[in-house]
Amino acid sequence: MIRRLAEYADVFISALESLRANPLRSLLTALGVTIGVAFVSLMGWALGSLDAAWESTLSTLGQDMLYVDKWNWAGGGNWRSVMNRKNITIDQAEEIARRVRAASMVYISADAWGKTVVRADKKASGLVIEGTMARFGLLPSTTLAEGRFFSEMEEQHAAAVAVIGDGVRSALFGNRSPLGETIRIEGRPFVVVGVMNKRGTLFTDFLDRTVYIPLPAFFGLYGRYSRSVTVAVKARSPEELGELRDDLRGIVRSVRMLSPDAPDDFAINEAQVFRDQVANIRMVIGMVGIGLTALSFLVGVIGITNVMFVAVVERTKEIGIRRAVGARRSSILAQFLAEAAMLCVAGALVGIALAGGLIAVAALLLRTQMEFLLPFVPLNVVALAVGSSICVGVIAGFVPALRAARLDPVEALRYEA
Amino acid sequence: MSPHSPLILLEQVTKDYRMGSEIVHALRGVDLSIEPNEYVAIMGPSGSGKSTLMNILGCLDWPTSGRYILDGTDVSSLDDAALARIRNQKIGFVFQTFNLLPRATALKNVELPLIYAGISADERRRRAQAALESVGLGDRLRHKPPELSGGQRQRVAIARALVTNPSIILADEPTGNLDSKTGAEIMALFERIWREGNTVILVTHEDDIARYARRIIRIRDGRIESDAPNSPETVEALTMQQ
Ligand SMILES: Nc1ncnc2c1ncn2[C@@H]1O[C@H](COP(=O)(O)OP(=O)(O)OP(=O)(O)O)[C@@H](O)[C@H]1O
Ligand SMILES: [Mg+2]
Repeated sequence: MIRRLAEYADVFISALESLRANPLRSLLTALGVTIGVAFVSLMGWALGSLDAAWESTLSTLGQDMLYVDKWNWAGGGNWRSVMNRKNITIDQAEEIARRVRAASMVYISADAWGKTVVRADKKASGLVIEGTMARFGLLPSTTLAEGRFFSEMEEQHAAAVAVIGDGVRSALFGNRSPLGETIRIEGRPFVVVGVMNKRGTLFTDFLDRTVYIPLPAFFGLYGRYSRSVTVAVKARSPEELGELRDDLRGIVRSVRMLSPDAPDDFAINEAQVFRDQVANIRMVIGMVGIGLTALSFLVGVIGITNVMFVAVVERTKEIGIRRAVGARRSSILAQFLAEAAMLCVAGALVGIALAGGLIAVAALLLRTQMEFLLPFVPLNVVALAVGSSICVGVIAGFVPALRAARLDPVEALRYEA
Repeated sequence: MSPHSPLILLEQVTKDYRMGSEIVHALRGVDLSIEPNEYVAIMGPSGSGKSTLMNILGCLDWPTSGRYILDGTDVSSLDDAALARIRNQKIGFVFQTFNLLPRATALKNVELPLIYAGISADERRRRAQAALESVGLGDRLRHKPPELSGGQRQRVAIARALVTNPSIILADEPTGNLDSKTGAEIMALFERIWREGNTVILVTHEDDIARYARRIIRIRDGRIESDAPNSPETVEALTMQQ
């Protein structure tokens, strides 16, 4: 083993040298690998970004939260029967909230979608107005960039105060601080007391376009019974979520006075409902990515195999010389395998750089619309890309290297280019 | 190993080449025995099988039939790794066309056998440099073969053959590509190598070159035609000239 160390070091160095002797040819040959690795990197980046979005969705919506709604967030079910469901009224919601025992917190909220908010001469539309309780401000996932959430007192008195999402702030106030400023919702003035941290994700991008006001104030704007409300229930621990869901279901059914054989006419939502969506996107990205990568690698293998055959012929004499001074067949095999692998690693590094550049540009350009995109190639993807390119090199180089190793030393020495 | 076993022993060695449907009998039954520290010249017309014989002696090629016993070991029983080891440790090759790596420096070329001997980089450098100095190329370490004259290239090749301290030096027409003056200088090197205790076997067409050897074997059509000691007077005369 130690004896062979000198030989392996030489294999490595001579592979590097032959790369350097033909840099352009090497890069062109490895183009398939370069593109394949770029695809792997982009795929890894997309999946990484998706996972990051998923993680932050879980944490903003809360892994220990259940939301009783008229709709299932993920869709599904018979559309007509879902459309015909009765609203969850504020009275039902309050009854549910009263009856839930095994929860650490319950709050009620109501949403109005597609609303326009005005400040002085500026307007922001497509917003969500959410009436909610002061308790919502106490959740660990509710963090403010500026100011404060409204208080219990303000809630009870239907105070005309608002906490605005990050997107609302930038649309209406630019870089100025909105604290203390007045905005108009449905023509009525509200004073901004707080700004939420950016919290929207790929799945919940509307969160940054939301204006939070006290629930009674919401009812003042839109009426008490115009909309179905949401009951949000926080479990005492994520482990108790299942048990809580069962309890909650029984309570809601009884409050909605469903007969035992009637199906649920409501949904108990949680962050996990996005999981199927995530899984689907993952699968699509994965299949497309793996398909394109495999194709590029195939092209890479063909190109590299060819160029290695050429290299073996070009260096027939060198092979003969090495055999004559003591190289074993396996030494020659290792030398050409290393060369093919090195070629692929070089191609892979270019591919990673390429993907890294694309990603940096994409993340920069799409920063505002899709801030869930990671600005870099995940490190494990880099490792994967380099590892797989070594495999590609070994596969591509194997037959040419075997031919080199099997050359008859005498014939090889006699060879004249 | 018996005390009387020669360094090299060939018994009825044949070598056939298949050329399409035809079979070329390059060697037709060669018996040969060479003791340590002999200085042998192999002569014969073109195509008589000299190079074939050298390649077999150097474990670069295998006999079609017959036995080759090198230093007490039957070579036909050895695998590729063992043969590579013999080429590396026991044999130094010198070729007519030098066979150097054109892009590597003289130093790198001479280091090559040491790489396969598993010698560390520092030690390789030191030994390669010493070998190059011993053939008078101490000032050409970083030159590449295209930057060297024919004689200098052959000296690099000789340094490479010597660097692992092999006991057998095989030279196939080492002066074939050199002018007579340079050839004589190279022959002086072989003379010295032989005097240092090595076994030298060289192939040549030229009587002038063969005269340096102490034993001359002539082959024709794959058979040994004659095998005789070289007359000491001519050797004496040549050595005086140096
Ligand atoms: N690889 C081969 N395939 C077929 N025939 C071969 C091969 N190598 C050698 N021969 C034949 O074997 C015979 C001996 O060849 P060899 O090279 O040993 O001759 P030589 O004595 O070295 O000749 P020269 O003085 O020209 O170098 C020749 O007839 C040659 O054509
Ligand atoms: Mg010959």
